[in-house]
Amino acid sequence: MKKIVITILLICLVLSFVSMTCAAALKFAFMPGIADPFYFTMEKGAKAKAAELGVELIVGEYPKAWGPEYQVPILKALVARGDIDLLFTAPTSTEALIPVLKEIYDSGIPVITVDTYLGDGDYSKPSNYNFPLSYIGTDNFLGGQVVAGQLALLLGGKGKVFLENTNPDVSSVMDRELGFRAGLKIFPDMELVGVEYCLDVQETAVAQVSAALQKNPDLDGVFGVNVFSAQGAYQAVVSAGLEGGVKIATWDATETLIEALKRKELDLILAQMPGEMGSLCVEWGFKYLTEGAEIPRKVIPGFFVFTQENVNDPDSQKYIYK
Amino acid sequence: MAESNNDSLFNLNKIGESKTLGFLGKNWAFLFLVIMLILFSFLGKNFFSLNNFNNIILGISSLLLLASGEAFVIISGGIDLSIGFVMGFVCVTSSIIMRDLNAAGYSPFFSILTGSLAGLLLGLIPGIINGYLVAKLRVPPFIATLGMWGIANGLAWRLSEGFPIGFLPLQVRDIGNAYIAYFSPKKGFSFFIKPELTERKDILSLLKIIPIPILWITFVLVIFAFILSRTKFGQHTYAIGGKVDAAIRAGINVPLHLIKIYVISSFFAATAGVLLVFKLNMGVHTQYTSSYELFAIAAVVIGGASLTGGKGTIWGTVIGVLLIGTLDNGLMMMGLPIFYRYIATGCILIIAVLIDQFFPELVYKE
Repeated sequence: MKKIVITILLICLVLSFVSMTCAAALKFAFMPGIADPFYFTMEKGAKAKAAELGVELIVGEYPKAWGPEYQVPILKALVARGDIDLLFTAPTSTEALIPVLKEIYDSGIPVITVDTYLGDGDYSKPSNYNFPLSYIGTDNFLGGQVVAGQLALLLGGKGKVFLENTNPDVSSVMDRELGFRAGLKIFPDMELVGVEYCLDVQETAVAQVSAALQKNPDLDGVFGVNVFSAQGAYQAVVSAGLEGGVKIATWDATETLIEALKRKELDLILAQMPGEMGSLCVEWGFKYLTEGAEIPRKVIPGFFVFTQENVNDPDSQKYIYK
Repeated sequence: MAESNNDSLFNLNKIGESKTLGFLGKNWAFLFLVIMLILFSFLGKNFFSLNNFNNIILGISSLLLLASGEAFVIISGGIDLSIGFVMGFVCVTSSIIMRDLNAAGYSPFFSILTGSLAGLLLGLIPGIINGYLVAKLRVPPFIATLGMWGIANGLAWRLSEGFPIGFLPLQVRDIGNAYIAYFSPKKGFSFFIKPELTERKDILSLLKIIPIPILWITFVLVIFAFILSRTKFGQHTYAIGGKVDAAIRAGINVPLHLIKIYVISSFFAATAGVLLVFKLNMGVHTQYTSSYELFAIAAVVIGGASLTGGKGTIWGTVIGVLLIGTLDNGLMMMGLPIFYRYIATGCILIIAVLIDQFFPELVYKE
């Protein structure tokens, strides 16, 4: 019995050495925030860049819901492999993930936060959350302002608009709301008549926007903050027969939304650049580990605004989430 | 439950004789619904209008079906937690079939019909498995259907990869958003086909009469309400929920009957899934945050059923769903934030159970 145990242990030891020596390439781990097209596109962008640079990319299981209680166990299992050179992740809580990621960082794995951040996202000042190499992601507040401006432009600077949001406890969509509100203030004749939260349930979004249209028959525009609220919003407008009459602005360029834009059921799509974000994480991580390059503490890849005019341009196609 | 309340605030025997209180206890949910409709008509802007009632009923169309299926299970003394995700699973599969057949060049009619029927058939499988686990292998319904809750969800997720399924034949949207009749002050009556209107005020003044999905739902509900209240199958369901030992002694094939019950529940969820494709013109998996199964259970209980089984009706459940939907819509039209609407639904649910406990004799004495 003892011999068997010792033999098994020896085999394990040898195998682990073999696997270590085989793994000459860098290993990056990506821990997404939730299973949705946005993070799938981010993974694709990261994978393409990793293949280009010869980096092995390990992707954590996609959490089924948003929140540290779903993400942290998967993250811990992912890092427990012990052979990871760098982690990039979208923390699902600005506070709860600080100690978890700090522990990973202290064990010698550099961390980049992507799309969402720790604390207030400013890693350049002294704080207990400034250990990540960089925050690579969208400025949601700025994006909200851009949408408000573009929607006002479509409506000639005058009109009543409604905001269909998802979860009141998620920093990214709340920043979009705050940015949208701030952006509207610039236009004295633009009025925000209501805000609803659909909790990512498309059927709920349809009901809420239908009610908003019923309450404000002279509504001119709706901003749906993500894929589910936007698709719900446009379905409600279509169902009321008001397509074209109510301008709809949305966030995230999924194929279904792009199709709707082509069919003139939508008017504006603000595309984040998730593929670009994933690609940047791998690229900067690679430069940091191989060349010791200094990484900017904050990288904002910017936005692309799809309209009915530019949606068919060949240059626009790469911004569609696939 | 009743015995412990005999010496409490209420003298049940005395109240039992009062016809007014008896009527109130039996129909409180319906009366509450009527009061709410009146109240919201005064408080909410544009609440009392045909188009808003269409919004309400379309908003709860999925829940109407899910809750009615759940009613069968709850009356038989069980519970089905999987319905929300079975709906999502069917919604995703049937939309994928429609999309792929249409893309392969088949006619929209054939694609839509095949997708819908395949969805309905696939939707029966979770019910068969649930029923077999509960009836033959004696797995507690809570656990068996919790397992299916995860399986159906995972499958839907895997198949859709988190993306909504789009690119369906255009007719899907036209069918799902059509009404039996339209009346426009400008163009008069028309049936099934929406009149072409360009002016905003004409579009807004268009009266839309009875949405097509609601016609289908009513059809299904009438059949199953008849089965539950007028057939031997229905009586057996109540018998099993009331006292399972007595049902076995009476010669009812309880395991077979239970399998049928879970298949019915699953069938309702599948119907809801197919209707959702038509309604959204898209296939979407069910979100964790949607809690369809819990709202369905709430509606069944508000409608007069008891979680211990043996009590409840389809029409009571419909009232329960209408109550939840009207409350949500009315508070929304008043401009109340979503948080308060959750609190309101919670309060109504607790009131329902309290009435169930304090007035058992009134509510169920025929």
